[in-house]
Amino acid sequence: MEPTYHDGSVNCLWKLHYILSKPKRYDVVAVRFAGSRLMLLKRVVAVEGERVEFRSGKLFLDGKEIEEPYVRFSCSWDLPPRQVEKGCVYVVGDNRNMPIQEHHFGQTSIKRILGVPLW
Amino acid sequence: MVRIRYLIIAVIVAGIGVLSSIFLFQSEERKVKKQFHLLSEWVSKDPGENAFTMAHKLQKIGTLFAENFELKTEVDSMSGSYTPAEISSYAARGRLMFSHLSLKFYDFDISFPQKGVANVTLTARLRGRATSGEDVDEIHEVQCILGKIEKRWLFSHVEIMEVLRK
Repeated sequence: MEPTYHDGSVNCLWKLHYILSKPKRYDVVAVRFAGSRLMLLKRVVAVEGERVEFRSGKLFLDGKEIEEPYVRFSCSWDLPPRQVEKGCVYVVGDNRNMPIQEHHFGQTSIKRILGVPLW
Repeated sequence: MVRIRYLIIAVIVAGIGVLSSIFLFQSEERKVKKQFHLLSEWVSKDPGENAFTMAHKLQKIGTLFAENFELKTEVDSMSGSYTPAEISSYAARGRLMFSHLSLKFYDFDISFPQKGVANVTLTARLRGRATSGEDVDEIHEVQCILGKIEKRWLFSHVEIMEVLRK
């Protein structure tokens, strides 16, 4: 999540954030990866029903280019369009300074979202 | 003096009793966990493992799986049904690609939805070094179903959970 969150930095998780609401675009969320302790910090870029794609590193939702001011390291990712399924969101890290194959991102169930970082 | 001797004998007898009861009346949960520990032991490979140890481990791996064991992963070519013999064969090929290998399981969540069936969700971590020199460190959430067949818990279904789907 560089440069928004630095490797090795400490944060706290606010688990009650999504009690009355659902994750929305641009939210930074903690995704439960395995067990109860292993989480990934990612940014929601698309919600259910939206069609997400990357063209030469630019994010497109439903065919429209989306501004991503939090991305500092440009990339040349290409990803064909895909629709986010019901009950899911599409999450990507802010650090795109790597080949697309090496970056952990994609559609995940809302049930796996544990909360948001406190700061 | 005689009293102390009786006391020592009583402690020994009690100790044997406790150990016997633990051994004879292992809880089902403990028996299920034991299968994972065995799988971990037999898949793992120490540097310089000798041929005898390798053959022994490979022979044993297959015994942990039911006939028509099913594997589900995000890699379609790996998903499907396997016999215990096929699993031993694939394990042999897989282990050859590593100079050392370690498979560990964490975060056990075990439930018994019906008699003779155990559902287990856990975290699996595979670490090692490929013979090509590349380091491997993979962590996944895994859902398993084990069935009790002839008093033994055998793996019948394993699904490697896909948390993020590109």
